[in-house]
This record gives sequence, structure tokens and C-alpha cells, in this order.
Amino acid sequence: MTTIEALNQIFCMVFDDDSLQITPDMTANDVDGWDSLSHVNLITTIEARFNLRFTQKELLKQKNVGDLIAEIDRKLAA
Amino acid sequence: MAFNSFSYFLFLPIVYLVFYFTADRWRWLVLLSASYGFYASFKAPYLLAVLLMVTGISYACGLRIAAQQDEAIRKRWLWIGSFSCVAILALMKYLPLLESRTNSIFGFNNTFNSTLISIGVSYFTFQAISYLADIYLEIEEVPEQHFGRFALYMAFFPKLLQGPIERAGDLLPQLKKPYQCDYNAMRSGMLLFTWGLFKKVVVADRLALYADQVFNNVHDHTGLSLIIGTYAYALQIYFDFSAYTDMARGTGRMFGINLTENFNSPYLATSIADFWRRWHISFSRWILDYIFKPLQMGCRNWGQIGTALALIIAFLVSGIWHGAKWGFIIWGLLHGLYLATSTYYRPYQKRLHKWLGIEKNKWLKWWQVFVTFNLVSFAWVFFRTKNFGDAWYVISKWFHGIKGLWSGLILSQGSYVLVLLIAMLMEVLLVSLLMKPNIIKMINRSAIVRHTVYCLLSIQIILFGVFTLDPKFVYFNF
Repeated sequence: MTTIEALNQIFCMVFDDDSLQITPDMTANDVDGWDSLSHVNLITTIEARFNLRFTQKELLKQKNVGDLIAEIDRKLAA
Repeated sequence: MAFNSFSYFLFLPIVYLVFYFTADRWRWLVLLSASYGFYASFKAPYLLAVLLMVTGISYACGLRIAAQQDEAIRKRWLWIGSFSCVAILALMKYLPLLESRTNSIFGFNNTFNSTLISIGVSYFTFQAISYLADIYLEIEEVPEQHFGRFALYMAFFPKLLQGPIERAGDLLPQLKKPYQCDYNAMRSGMLLFTWGLFKKVVVADRLALYADQVFNNVHDHTGLSLIIGTYAYALQIYFDFSAYTDMARGTGRMFGINLTENFNSPYLATSIADFWRRWHISFSRWILDYIFKPLQMGCRNWGQIGTALALIIAFLVSGIWHGAKWGFIIWGLLHGLYLATSTYYRPYQKRLHKWLGIEKNKWLKWWQVFVTFNLVSFAWVFFRTKNFGDAWYVISKWFHGIKGLWSGLILSQGSYVLVLLIAMLMEVLLVSLLMKPNIIKMINRSAIVRHTVYCLLSIQIILFGVFTLDPKFVYFNF
């Protein structure tokens, strides 16, 4: 399973929407219910699923789904 | 020099003419000199020194952060820069309080004017911190090398005193762009400025006459008079502040600069979270990005408690930012608590609305607007009253009688009571002509509609405007 596929499953679960299809240029404005409160659930779920830990700076820099995927891939490769 | 003062009505066209006839490569210097001149008009030379100091610190620290590869050193420069800015701000805001406390113990006289001392400082220090954070986070990839342009980014006079707090990525590129005189930008800028002037002198300042009557002498009022006073203040502060932003944005447009929109019909918000997405947007974005998010992410393993705590702390900071008064801290704490508790009940509320099948019901929406407006107005009481005793009196007497209502109206509006009724009729006509809240779109309407609006605005400003010798905006104090 690729990173984007695994991430898609997490998005569907966190936002309670099985039809959700994520794309690299997707931002919080494009997903119903993606606010600062659900964002923290998303991040903790990603960290648990991929067994990694983001730094504060990495989290504050991310602007879209593409940035998130790139950061996950970079951490998994390290 | 406030935007609604006669000196500004002279200052603005003169600056524009000099700007227009100057070669493009020197235009930044015209705007920078005008901005420092504008700030100097408050006759407090130390303010210019503070502005220059914050500009110098953020410029130098920005260059240092960008020049370093080592993460620890980058972080150190971010902290040095941000801490210096916060220290300057805290000193400016809390010095008069410290001095008055010390003087009351030792019996000395005060030397600082507490209302003027920090005018504008809160805004440009927050902008400086935002600049440094954006460079550190690499949101802003290249720091500004040209000190003059950077100084203009910090001091640009339309946004100097009350914001909007501009992000470097939004404003700096515009200040570097060659200026091209655009007829439509000029027209829309002038219209936006006039619309702001109307909101300030006709609506906000007239509401202030009543709100001031109530809040300066709360014990002369009870019940309905206090309720109307509270709502009058809620509307006054909105019209006052959004008027300033419109006038700032209008001025900016004349120079080819688009400043950030700071308000989006905040009293139509359906929740407190929604209110903060619509009220003082540049400030709430600052609090969200640089206080709330780092705190929330730092406490993310604490679950919902972490988020609730981050919200309370972020809004406490927001309260403290407003100044050295318990009322501001209670106001911030109240908004923090509103938001923190909503993180717990909101999922259940959504499920309940879904179960009842009313989640798209327009009456539910209007009910939520009503509740949100009242929660916000309740918090404004602490913000406006002189002390906690007055605030408690207002709240405890809301539903007791109507003492002071008529005398308050007469004292505040005088013989204008009848004239105000006519003004309200004209208001209805004006609003129905506008239809859309975005005044700028008015320039595209037919000539008859446009000119009717222009005439109505001008007549009302002349007839019903409140003009004083020392005009001020509410947020000048913060």
C-alpha cells in the first residue's frame, strides 16, 4: 500500500467519510470538517499508524496533503 | 492624526500627489517618509524610536535566521527577535501601570500618558514576530534585504495604528511592484474610504454617544437601558473597527496596495469559532498560527484536554495583548472558555441536530446567530466597563427596570432623536440599494444607483456625522 493510499484510509476514518479521495494539492478548505480541532486527531492518528513523530516545525510548515505525504515519506526513508 | 480628522483629509491628497509625481524607484521613500511623518503627528517622539527599534531588530534577526543552516542557531535567532519584540511591547503597555502603582506607593506624579503611549506598537510588534516566524518556518523563503522597503512594510501608514497585521508574503511583494495608476482602484479606494468614514462618524460615533452615557455612569441605569447600552457598544466597536479597516484598505488601494480584509460580517457568525473566523481576521489568524497551533501540537498527546487548554491560553494572551486591565483578561478568558467547552459539546450538538433533522433549518441558523451575538456581547461588558464592580452591576441589573433609558437617549442624541428616525429611513434605502455587503462592487452598478449611494453617503456624513477636535478610534487604545 502506498503512502497516499494509507493516508486516504486515515482521512476517511477521521472525517467519517468513506467517499473521500485525497490529492496532493488538497487543503483544509477542501475537506468538510477539517478544522484545527480535527487536525490534531488526524496528526495523532497518522503518527500512530506510521509509527513516527513530527516536530512542531514540520507540522506548522505543512500547507497541503502533498506536504504531509512528502514529510511522511522522508521520515519513513530516514 | 486619525483617518476622520481634517488634517488627514489634507495629508492624504498631498502624499498621493508627491507619490504620483515621484520616479518609481523612489516611491518607497515617499511612503516611508509619509508613514514616519504620520506617526510623528501623535507628538510622541519615543514612538518613532520604538518603531525604528522593532524594525531594526526584526530586519537583522530575519537575515540571521535565513543565513543559518543549523536548526538550533535559527531557533535561537527566532527567540532573540521575538523575545525582544515582546519585551518592548510589554514595557510600552505595562509601564504606565507599573509607574502608577509605584507612584501611588511613593506619592510621585505620573509622567506617562497611558492612552497614547503604545498607539500602534501592538500591531507592528505582532507583525515583526509574524515576519520572523514565517522566515523560520520557511513560509517566507527569502528575507527582505532592502532595509528601506522592510521599514515601509513595518510602518506603511494606512495599517500602522490599528492593522491589519500583514503577513510578509502578502504585503512585501506589493510594496516592490511598480505603481500603475488604475482608475478603478482609485474609485473603489475612495468609495471604501468614504464608506468607512460613514460607518465611523455616522454609525459608530453616534452609537458611542449612548454607549458612553451608559458605561461611564452605569449606576444611573438599570434593565433595558443597560441591555441597549450593551448592544450599542457591541455594534459601536464593530462599526468603529471595521470602519478603520475600510478606511485603511481604501487608502491602500489608492497607492496600489491591497490590505487584508479584517472583518466578514462577524455578528452573523453561528458559533464562537465562526465569530473568530470573521472578527479581526488578521489578529485571530496571528493568534491561531503562532500561539494556538504550536501549543495544540505540543500538547497533542493530551487529547481533547490539550486542545481546550491551548484555546484558553491563546485567548488569555489575546486578552493580555489588549492592555493592563482585568476586564481584558476576563474577556479573553471568556472567549477561551466558550471555545474550549464547545470542543466537548459540539460533536453531540451536531448529532442531536442531525437526529432531529434540523441541521439545515434556517431558523436554527438564526437562533445560533442570536445566541452567538449575545455571548459575544456579554463578553464585551467586561471589555468596556471601567472595573469589575461596574461589570458585575451591569450584568446583575440587566433585567431590572428601565432607569436612564430616555434621559440617556436625550443626553446622548439631544434634539437629534427625530432626525435619527429620518436617518434610519435613509439607512433602509441605502442598505436596500447596496444589497450586497461588498461596497467595492458598487462601482460596477448603473450610474443612477451609484450616484444615489454617493449622495446618500455624503449627505449623511455631513448631516449626522459626529466630528470632534480630537477624533479617536476605539482600537487606538490597544
